[in-house]
Amino acid sequence: MVTYIVRRLITAVLILFGASFIVYVLTALSGDPLADLRQLRTPNKDALIQARTELLDLNTPPPIRYFIWLSGAVKCVVPFLGTCDLGQSIQGEPVTEALARAMGQTISLVTAATVLAIIVGISLGIITALRQYSGLDYGVTFMAFLFFSLPIFWLAVLLKEYAAIGFNDFLAEPKIPLSALLIIGLVSAVIWGILAGGSWKRKGLAALIGFVVAFAILFVMDKTGWFVNPGLGPVLIAIFGVGVAYAVTGLTSGLKNRRALYTALLMVPIGLISYYAINPLLSMATPLMIVLLAVATILVGCIVGYFMGGYDRGQSMRAGAISAFLIGGLIVLDRFLVTWSAYSSHSRVRGRPIATTGASTPGLDGDFWISGLDNFTHLLLPTIALMLASLAGYSRYSRSSMLEIMSMDYIRTARAKGLSERTVVMRHAFRNALIPLATLVAFDIGALIGGAVITESVFAFSGMGALFINALNRVDPNPIMGFFLITGILALVFNLIADLAYSVLDPRVRVKA
Amino acid sequence: MRFGRTSKAVGVAAVAALALSACAANTGTEDGGNGGGEESGGEVRVVEVNAFSSFNPDTAKGNVDINSKIEYATHSDFNYINNDLEIVKNEKFGSYEVVSEDPLTVKYTVNEGVKWSDGEPIDAGDLMLSWAVMSGHFNDAKTDKEGEVVSGHNYFDYAGDTSGLGLTDVPEIGEDGRSITLVYEKPFADWEISFGVGVPAHVVATQGGLADEDALIELLQSAPEGDPAKPQERPELKKVADFWNTGFDTKSLPSDASLYLSSGPFIVKDIVPEQSMTMVRNEDYNWGPMPKIDEITVKYIGEAPAQIQALDNGEVDIIAPQASADTIEQLEALDGVTVERGNQLSYDHLDLNFTGPFADKDVREAFMLTVPRDAIYDAIMKPLNPEGSPLDSQIFLPEQAAYAEAVKANGSENFQEVDIEKAKELLNGKTPEVKIMYNNANPNRVDAYTLIAASAEKAGFKVVDGGLGASDWGSALGTGTYDASIFGWVNSGVGVTGVPQLFSTDGGGNYSGYSNETVDELSNQLILETDPKKQEEIQIKIDTELWGDRFGLPLFQPVGVDAYSDRIEGVKYMPNQTGVWWNFWEWSVKE
Repeated sequence: MVTYIVRRLITAVLILFGASFIVYVLTALSGDPLADLRQLRTPNKDALIQARTELLDLNTPPPIRYFIWLSGAVKCVVPFLGTCDLGQSIQGEPVTEALARAMGQTISLVTAATVLAIIVGISLGIITALRQYSGLDYGVTFMAFLFFSLPIFWLAVLLKEYAAIGFNDFLAEPKIPLSALLIIGLVSAVIWGILAGGSWKRKGLAALIGFVVAFAILFVMDKTGWFVNPGLGPVLIAIFGVGVAYAVTGLTSGLKNRRALYTALLMVPIGLISYYAINPLLSMATPLMIVLLAVATILVGCIVGYFMGGYDRGQSMRAGAISAFLIGGLIVLDRFLVTWSAYSSHSRVRGRPIATTGASTPGLDGDFWISGLDNFTHLLLPTIALMLASLAGYSRYSRSSMLEIMSMDYIRTARAKGLSERTVVMRHAFRNALIPLATLVAFDIGALIGGAVITESVFAFSGMGALFINALNRVDPNPIMGFFLITGILALVFNLIADLAYSVLDPRVRVKA
Repeated sequence: MRFGRTSKAVGVAAVAALALSACAANTGTEDGGNGGGEESGGEVRVVEVNAFSSFNPDTAKGNVDINSKIEYATHSDFNYINNDLEIVKNEKFGSYEVVSEDPLTVKYTVNEGVKWSDGEPIDAGDLMLSWAVMSGHFNDAKTDKEGEVVSGHNYFDYAGDTSGLGLTDVPEIGEDGRSITLVYEKPFADWEISFGVGVPAHVVATQGGLADEDALIELLQSAPEGDPAKPQERPELKKVADFWNTGFDTKSLPSDASLYLSSGPFIVKDIVPEQSMTMVRNEDYNWGPMPKIDEITVKYIGEAPAQIQALDNGEVDIIAPQASADTIEQLEALDGVTVERGNQLSYDHLDLNFTGPFADKDVREAFMLTVPRDAIYDAIMKPLNPEGSPLDSQIFLPEQAAYAEAVKANGSENFQEVDIEKAKELLNGKTPEVKIMYNNANPNRVDAYTLIAASAEKAGFKVVDGGLGASDWGSALGTGTYDASIFGWVNSGVGVTGVPQLFSTDGGGNYSGYSNETVDELSNQLILETDPKKQEEIQIKIDTELWGDRFGLPLFQPVGVDAYSDRIEGVKYMPNQTGVWWNFWEWSVKE
């Protein structure tokens, strides 16, 4: 194992050297860094050209400049050699600073989208596999491929036009016309019908329910001015809480395990009490406090589950912890929703809450809730765009992997010994179906930092992608090499991790030295 | 009566729901936000393409449009340039007067009470530092053929031209301590736009290792002039200059407030690197045009479509995207937005080499007669600006007052129409082979080349496509590897020192090998002439010579566009690099 890792690492270093040399030389040869100066007709043109030539050391041939760069860059990777020096950009900013900033931006932009894409994509894949060749399967497949093949810049423009500009216009005068209500109701009916599956009678009934539910909810929201003053309030928290408790128990331990169900249900009153109790505390919330509260809720869930006991403490604790966490999330969501009207009417936001560009509203000084909403409104569109584009991969992989597992002999054995369908799917099939996905996920996390060049430039985010493309436009090798170093190392490391993880997860695969 | 368990549960839940709905937790967030506080003038958001990188835009590195714009809003100066490209004096800041014509002597005085935002007055020290920077007085570097410095130093890494103030010796400081007098060895045409106040001297002095501003004045006055033949080590000056060169470079708001002092209407309050920056009013400011708004926010958005949608969404108020037919079409489709467009101060042109086939004047004339300038304009610029026409002067742009007069006199009327017959006559049966060099990564240049080549071939020219890639065409200029070239020049709109650069025999931008004694002589006169009227006359004469010598053809100016929301007013199109910022004090928020 160790020999294997060492061997992989040595190859990785060699690959890095070779690739960085090629990237450096290609970048240096990709354009004329003096192009903008050549068109000047002022007498100091030569002096400016000379200054830039000196700054970028253009009189030295690129392959030699690469080794000069390398002598500084090596210190970043190998410890104890001295201070890390990745050089400066054409504007005189140290590349290390630019990288740190760009990485922060990129992580904030891509993390939510990746996590959501993984969760939603895998769920969709599993569900469609369980209902292979149903209307749902075809519908999801169609949508996944549709979004996969849409160019993201076009998707982004559409999102901005309808989800930002159009939605903001709607929020300015939140009246849903009857025609829109009917259309949304019909769409909901179709979705419910497809989801329901089974006989046509069943589908028709589901469609009817879907229509009524969507129509009624929107109608009530419209009439009560919910869009202007959103919020959940204790009643909705309680109702959703009970729903969460049933769903979580159903998935983790099955509703037959009454103790687990009661643990999860107990979280609802506890959540409601804390909804009032910690309310003053939430007014001065900080990110750290929210994290600590989240940890506390999970602990409460575990403790309650422990004392509920029963023949399987672990199941109760798990159901309790997950429901507690989700109900806590509902309380936080309620708080964000209640803050919404204050945010949207803030003078800097100008009543146009959903933003199309940038990472934050300039000059907005708000507490945790206001700035949280600000992050949300700025990340919403790029996150949707990125998520839709990467859903296809995850859902297809998990679908095929799940299908393969479901036809395995041991699944038939599990069914034959009388296990419930939930246990067969959740415990025997689902976990094994995730193994091949580990490779994909590990690699995607490695690629996270690389940024999304097009998405970043369409949404005016200044992450790694923007750093790369701007430097390339200026024919400025140093930032590009910084970018390459980070993404290259991450790609190699996560590739290795993916391989190792596979061998750990799947006992049939062994790493041979 | 017995209730089932479910009914009981529902009943309890309903009662609880009723009870609870009456008492949602008081979150204390009902009061709407008022981030604006007591502001009255309101806030305007401007979009820029490039991100801010330095508080000193006079350095070669910091010389990026956005840095200059921020400086424009946070610094006052003796004059500024308006959108008619005229120099407007700011008498409230200070005054300058020509004390003597021979030798040209100019006295600059800053008014009393004009100060930096830390309370330090703007005075002779600041003027002295500017002079030291802009004159290159102390530079003693010698460079080899490749441009590498072999001995000595260039102290201040100034982005501007030192040839004008280089004619002055160490200036004298006035008794009041707020004025200096510059004496030019010989008259200098562009003296009025060559001098201004830069970064604060007291900050440069202390951060550059000196005791205070007086020590800096002392240093600048006592240090001898730099002489490349006898370079000296000047560690003190080097330290000062090094700080001036790099000390103001930053992408985020420095913790040291002295690095972003303001002497203008606004002062930087906050910077989010690569995202936005916020400027608020400089409370002390009363020495110049007073702004109507309280805050300017700059937001960086690179892509034109993203800028347009941000404007449509009300996130920003003013945008100036890269002009293209799509951009203009999208902008005009927006409601509640005013679109302005005009020419930019740059122009594409066709230059003919005075060697090879074009050494013969008849061949040059024949070639020029085949160039379909109208067709080129129609193909490239008409979709953007239906009202414009091809450029008819080698020196002036239509935005400049003398353009109309120059066009009348310079002989450009002979080249308005394509005249293949006359070109054939001039060629007299010859079929010269000409190679045209251009940037083939620029679609406009490719279009221009295609039209020119097709038309020239009708007259018998054999056109060779000498198009080069984006990274190669620039360094090919002036190498004589082609017979004609299509590229662009940037015109600053004011000043005349650019003219000899392009057209005199030893001019740095004279890539055609053009040499005309009359033009050389006129050029020499021009840079010594301080009277704007006479400058115009000389330039018209040069222009006429150029057309007479069949130098080449100006083609067209690119179109610029800006757009602003109806929320604000007072924005006016500006063709030069300052863009919409030129009259930011006239912007106001309606309501």
